[in-house]
Amino acid sequence: MSAFVVHGNFRGVRDLRLVGRQVYYEQLSFWLNPVAAIFTVGFSVIFLVLLGATGGRSHVGSLGGIRAIQYYVPGFVAYGVMSTCFNTLAVALVIRRETGLLKRMRLSPLPTWVILAGVTGSALVVSVAQVALLLLVGKFAYDVVLPQNIAALVVAVIIGVICFTALGIATSTLIPNQDSGGPIVSVVFFVLLFLSGLWYPLKAGSTLATISGYFPIRHLMLATFAPFDTRRGASAWDWHDILILAVWGMAAVFVAARRWRWAPHKD
Amino acid sequence: MVVEGLAKSYGQLHALDGVSFEVARGEVFALLGPNGAGKTTTIEILEGFRTRDTGRVEVLGFDPADKATSRQLREQMGVVLQELAVEPFLSVRRVLDRHAGFFPRPRPVDEVLHLVGLEDKAQKRVKTLSGGQQRRLDLALGIIGDPDLLILDEPTTGFDPSARRQAWELIGSFAERGTTVILTTHYLDEAEALASRVAVITGGRIVADGTPETLGGRDRGTCRIRFRLPPGTSADALPVAVERSDDGVIEISTDREIAVLATLTSWALDHQVALVNLTVERLTLEDAYLRLVGDAAGPDARDPA
Repeated sequence: MSAFVVHGNFRGVRDLRLVGRQVYYEQLSFWLNPVAAIFTVGFSVIFLVLLGATGGRSHVGSLGGIRAIQYYVPGFVAYGVMSTCFNTLAVALVIRRETGLLKRMRLSPLPTWVILAGVTGSALVVSVAQVALLLLVGKFAYDVVLPQNIAALVVAVIIGVICFTALGIATSTLIPNQDSGGPIVSVVFFVLLFLSGLWYPLKAGSTLATISGYFPIRHLMLATFAPFDTRRGASAWDWHDILILAVWGMAAVFVAARRWRWAPHKD
Repeated sequence: MVVEGLAKSYGQLHALDGVSFEVARGEVFALLGPNGAGKTTTIEILEGFRTRDTGRVEVLGFDPADKATSRQLREQMGVVLQELAVEPFLSVRRVLDRHAGFFPRPRPVDEVLHLVGLEDKAQKRVKTLSGGQQRRLDLALGIIGDPDLLILDEPTTGFDPSARRQAWELIGSFAERGTTVILTTHYLDEAEALASRVAVITGGRIVADGTPETLGGRDRGTCRIRFRLPPGTSADALPVAVERSDDGVIEISTDREIAVLATLTSWALDHQVALVNLTVERLTLEDAYLRLVGDAAGPDARDPA
């Protein structure tokens, strides 16, 4: 566990300002690499537009006949959170580790928790921007009914960001080199997405629903869907799934703390 | 800075085997040695990046392995390592701005840009810099925090000759301002140009420690004269002081080689003996270094890793 032991003492407001600065520079790095930024942020919106155009008007029998788009918008909110926090972050951390960027960070006076808080804060900013974009497109292009219980959506997104950031960090420790980062992460991500019913809702109790229930992606999708489920209205809290996400997040923190390394593998 | 009996093993391999040295404030100390000698391991322990097995280490009054004080230590320490990367999509100025924010009293970014000669590149993205320019940015990042101690791991590897000179001048100028500098290098001219003290490390041990002028006995004779002892003569019969007699080969170190040779040759003529294999060689830092590294390694030199 030594890798995560906090280096140095806490300096109050100065350190909080440092976290802010880290988020700012993480954001600069992210947006100044437009290919990666568009790949991360744009895909969820493009998928939503395509699915909305092809199947958005149909209704879902298994969900009491609600409009399909009412299911797709929260599905892509979950997709956006995961691709930002899990895919992009895991790959970026492997590149930073293997090129020596993490080592340089560790040799600077910056405390470990500030580095990690900067990364998480930046993932939250990108996720929130994506969610806002998806809600706007959903609302104005497809007439999606926005959640009555907006707090339930906010909580689901924040827990999702924390859980998948932790999973992204943990996964980066399992990837040996920068060449394998992208492929490994993409395979894991898309297989689980497929299993979890992003493209079509799974019947509760079906084999697929049972299998995907063992993984966190399904639970984030259910937690973001609850506030969009027009049958539920204001009572849209989905604590069961949020709790499972929290447990996954803690497990990821445990793995990350055990396996984390600052130095490239060639060292 | 004090290092005493430092040891570190990786499994069966003893990377460091009782390394001890001291560096005074304001000194420029070079750790010289072949690849795999333990240079990088040593300085990574000084930085607190690696843990040690045994030994005592004190850097700027702190134990680098103590996590409670590591932040304070790193605020007073600048590090330039081999092959460190920088965020490729940020501009040079932003990278320096960002790093400056980590330190309580950083140097002004413009001043640092000027010192490393990257003023015209300030707005350029890091990934557009040439290899040498990126190394200068590394150096800039090492000094942005205005450190009391600057640690440089092979700072000019990959530099072209003029960039090396510039880097030397820069490092020299820090030393003049009282910054303690520790550098590793396998360039002898670099150690000679920069260091006020040099330690030679090989096989995880320090085999010599001194100024570049005295290292390995360079001061005890800038010249080495060798010849085979004539048959039937004992070394004591020679008219000059013999430093070493090994298997009939006489070795004399002297800084008055002309006088010694004159005495020796007239003695040989008088006694009508030949000085077989007579050689006169000047001991350069390289000679001293190679002798040290060669002696220490011996016939069963450990595999450098």
